[in-house]
Order: sequence, then C-alpha cells, then structure tokens
Amino acid sequence: MDNKHIIGVFDEEDALMEAVHEVKEKGFRIGEIYSPYPLHEAIEAMEKTSRFAFVAFLYGFAGAAAVLAFMYYTAVIDWPVNYGGKPTNAFPSFIVVTIIITILTVTILSLLTFSVRAKIYPGKAYILPDARSTDDKFVVIFDKSLLNGKQTELEDILKQKGAVEVYEKELKPEN
Amino acid sequence: MYKTEVRGPLILGDKNYRQISSDIIAPIDRPAPLWWKAVFGLGILATLFGLFAMYQTVAKGIGTWGVNNSVGWGWEIINFVWWIGIGHAGTAFSIFLLILRQKWRTSINRAAEAMTVVAVGAAAIFPALHMGRVWLAFYIFPYPNSRGPLWVNFNSPLFWDFIAISAYLLISASFWYYGMVPDFATIRDKATSKIKKAVYGFFAFGWTGSTSEWLRYEALSYVLGGIAAVLVVSVHSIVSTDFAVSVIPGWHTTVFPPYFVVGAIFSGFAMVMTLMIIIRKMYKFQDYVTNSHLDAIARILIFISLIMGTAYATEIFVAWYSGSQYEMFTFFKNRITGDYTFQFWAMVVCNAIIPQLFWFKKIRQNLTIAFIISLLINLGMWYERFNILITSLSKDYLPSSWVTYHPTWVEVGVYIGTLGIFITGVLLFFKFIPMIAISEVKSILKVTSIKKNESKISSHGQ
Repeated sequence: MDNKHIIGVFDEEDALMEAVHEVKEKGFRIGEIYSPYPLHEAIEAMEKTSRFAFVAFLYGFAGAAAVLAFMYYTAVIDWPVNYGGKPTNAFPSFIVVTIIITILTVTILSLLTFSVRAKIYPGKAYILPDARSTDDKFVVIFDKSLLNGKQTELEDILKQKGAVEVYEKELKPEN
Repeated sequence: MYKTEVRGPLILGDKNYRQISSDIIAPIDRPAPLWWKAVFGLGILATLFGLFAMYQTVAKGIGTWGVNNSVGWGWEIINFVWWIGIGHAGTAFSIFLLILRQKWRTSINRAAEAMTVVAVGAAAIFPALHMGRVWLAFYIFPYPNSRGPLWVNFNSPLFWDFIAISAYLLISASFWYYGMVPDFATIRDKATSKIKKAVYGFFAFGWTGSTSEWLRYEALSYVLGGIAAVLVVSVHSIVSTDFAVSVIPGWHTTVFPPYFVVGAIFSGFAMVMTLMIIIRKMYKFQDYVTNSHLDAIARILIFISLIMGTAYATEIFVAWYSGSQYEMFTFFKNRITGDYTFQFWAMVVCNAIIPQLFWFKKIRQNLTIAFIISLLINLGMWYERFNILITSLSKDYLPSSWVTYHPTWVEVGVYIGTLGIFITGVLLFFKFIPMIAISEVKSILKVTSIKKNESKISSHGQ
C-alpha cells in the first residue's frame, strides 16, 4: 500500500501554528500534528473533541450504584449481622467504601478507555513520522494521495512559514 | 507607568527543548555514580535485615514483637501511619497543584509521585504482618467464600482502611505511570542502544505525541486528578477513624480526621523537600529545581506547621474543656508531663516550632538548614504517631493493666527493612526513570520564560 506523506518539521510552536492555519485556509487536509507537549491550538485546528469527562461521570455513577447495591445485598439480604442492634442497612457508614470504590472504578475504566480511544497499549506498532517530534520538533504531516498534484504549493507554504525541513516519506509502523 | 511583577522564570538557564530532554535523560544514560552504588548497597542490606525480621514475625508469630495486651498496637502501626503520611505528597503535589493549574509543580511532581508509590507500598507491609497469619490476608477481601458466604464488615474502619490504601496505591501508581508514558517515548526515540530502545519502547506503549493522543491524555489526567483529589483527604481521614471511633482517651476526638490529613501532607511535603534537595545537589538540577521551587515548599511548610500547632493546642484545650478526667490524665499527666514528656515535646518542637524558622528568608535559602529541618519534621511526625499510640494505650482506664512498651529487635528490624525498601525504590527511580516530567516542563518553558515575561511587562507599560 502506498502510504507516502509530506512531512513538515518546525522548530517553534508559533511557526507551526501559522503554517497550520494557512494550509487549512488553502483547503489542504492535515493528516496529523505531532508535538513534544500538548498544543491546545493544534488540537482545535484538527477539530478534535473528546467526551472523556462525560464518560468518566457515567463510570462514577455506575460504580457508586454497583457498590451500594453490593453492600446492601451482602449486609442486609444475604447475611445480616446484628451489631448491638444497629440497623443492618448502615447507609451513612457505607458511604466511605462507596466513595473509594467509585474513585477506583472511574480510574480503572478511564485508563482502559484512554487505552482504547488513544490506542496506547503495550506492544503497539506505532507510526512516528519524525522521531525528533518527541524531543524538540513540531511535525505536521499530509497524505500525498490527497494532494491532487498541489504538492509544490503545499511545500512552498510550509517553507515560507518557517519549516526547517520539508520532505516526503513512506510511513511504516515501528515496533 | 508601572512595572508588573511577574513571577520569575520557572526554568533557569535559558534552555531549549532539546537541552531539557538531554539534561533530564542524562542520569539514565550515565553509569550510576559511586554515592548511588554505596547508598543502594546500604538500602539492600537494610531490606535484607527487614526481610529476616519479617520472616521471624511470620514463622514464629506476633510473640516476637514487644506488643502486649495493653499496648496492642506498637511500632508497626506507628510506622504504618508514618509511611502513609509520607505517601501523601504525591497526590497533594501533583493532583492539588494540577487542578489549581500551578505551573511550578512540573519540576517536582514526578519525584513526589514516585516517593508516594514506594512509601505506600512500604506502609502496606505493616497491617499485613499485623494480621498475624498473613497467608490468610485475603479473608479481608469481600468475595463469595465457602464460609457462609460470610461477608466482611463494611462498617469497620479497619476494612475501610484496607480499601482506601489498596485503592490509593493502585490509583497513584497508575497516575504516575501514565504521566511517564510521553517521557518514555522521548527516551525511546533518543536511545542509541537497541536494548534501551526496546525496553523504553515497550513501556512507552507506542506513544507518538499526535493530537489525538494528547487530547485524550490531557482529558485523562484531569479526570484522574479531579477524582483522586478526594483521596488526599479520604485516605488519612480513614486511617484516623481507626483511632477516633474507639473509646481510648486521647483517640476519641473529632479533630482527628483533619489533624491526620494535615499531618500527612506536612510529612509528605517535608519528604519532598528532602528528596528535591538531594536530586538538585546530586544531579545538578539547579535549573529545574530552583531556589524558588524550594522557597515555595518552605512557605507551604510554615503554613502547615501553624495548623499542626493549632491542632495540638486544640487537643489539649478539649482535654481540659471536656471535663473528662481520663482525657485530662492522658494529656496533662502522660504527655505534657510524665513518662512520655520527651516524646511529646519532641513532637511539638519538631513540628510546630522549628519549621517556623522558615519565616526567615535566609533560612529558606540555606539549603543545608532547610534539609535538616525537613528531616526534623519527619522525625517529629514519627513522634506524633508514637504519642498518639503508645501514651494512650500504655495507660488506659484500668491502672492494673498499665504497662511499659519496648520494641523488640524484630519490630525495629521490620522498620529498618521498610526504610531500606524506600531507599532502594527511590534510588532505582533516580537511575531508570526521568526524575522530572520532561513533556510537562517543556509545556511551561515558553510561557514562563524571561522573554515572555518581558514582553508582558512592556505591554503593560505602554
């Protein structure tokens, strides 16, 4: 499969963002942006959103309900124990365990969700266009097959906006 | 025209991104220095001694300890609470300061979290051993068993403690690990040897730093940060209920949960200061762990020390105000005066008085004195737990059951063992893991640099 990409390498966050805005305006489709730290502007430019917080809330809600139900089942239905005549459904003191297990549920399920959605897991074959982007470079890539012959125009824009390198590369998964 | 005083740069030395990566990765690439090997050897020795003491405890039983009918909780619980307290810095630092958007945390949070994971792991050894038959420890887990099924008592603070601490260990470890994933990728991509590339590549989980990864990564850290902030308060509150729900004089007070939480953060911050001074000195990270970072920690310590002093005063006041003769006896005849005078005043001096020296700028900037004070705080916090446990238990309601408690070599040995585990754990962290969060430091470099601040000042001026 032909997986040729045009890769623009930048030294500075500001130069990268200027180039990104410019090429977007000219109608190019950006493949992906790689940076050594999170760039909120780049995430916005890629028009990516996440429903993570909402999903985490659902996890918490489900976790809390499940823990309370479990404690009610064990302490009231399955094996009620008489602690000096105190009610078996000791709701206020159940809250402590409920809070902790809810937090634990949210954490574990959020980690799994992150792993699935961001595709970060042990042994993953990853595609990293330019290895310097985890160090000090900001990298933007474009799929060559979508350029329709406007490759020179794109390369010119990138260089004009301050790209230190523009090159073509066949992307392959690494391990 | 006026000049706005903007906080100085957080990272000194006018670094660029590449320098940051290489500076922080350098200790991983270099062979371990001599002091590292020497201290690591000591740590291993201490750990081995501790393992032998643990073997004695398990093979012969709790009878090898100095605890008795009156003083049923001795050094083990003192040390358990002490380690858990130290283990509070990770969450307090990275999570509180993360949700408060405090940028200065970035140089320190990684080490604080590492310390948390090791300290909580060390703490968990004590309650497990204290069960006596540690191989039956799984009984505390609520699972459908063949004994009825007989479920655990969900109303018991001891069970809450088990839940709180295992959850805390798991959550702080995963928070720590996910914070390191981008940094592992940086090491992977800069590695020159094949083995290193493969090992760090495995731990980096295929991280590339694309926008779709960063987007979820940030969302994850805020979700985890927001929800785990509750743990800072809940874990030590629950530990305090182990004491506060009993009827022992000196324990049965409502001030215990906040008093314990603040004390935990206090000892945690003190230990962070100890470690950051070591890291700064031994690895020459002055540009990352600057004077202003240590200054900020010292200021926080002053504040928490004032709260500790207030808590001690509150306890004493309430002992008098309650009109309970047992409380009066415990505080006035058995702590302020009496057999345990030294331990009580050691606690007050180390926790409430000495940290007040940080009011002086000269002392905040003198790292030798700051280092000594940070160690004294953790000594004082150890005495605090000694006071709470031993003074209250050794002289309770019934004078005929009053005893003196002395730890045996086995108890001391287990404690030395946990110190060894902590030292080796922290040293392994120094050697194999980037001590400072590389990607987070890069993200704050430009916004807090001198150039940016100068432009801010001039734009205000015009």
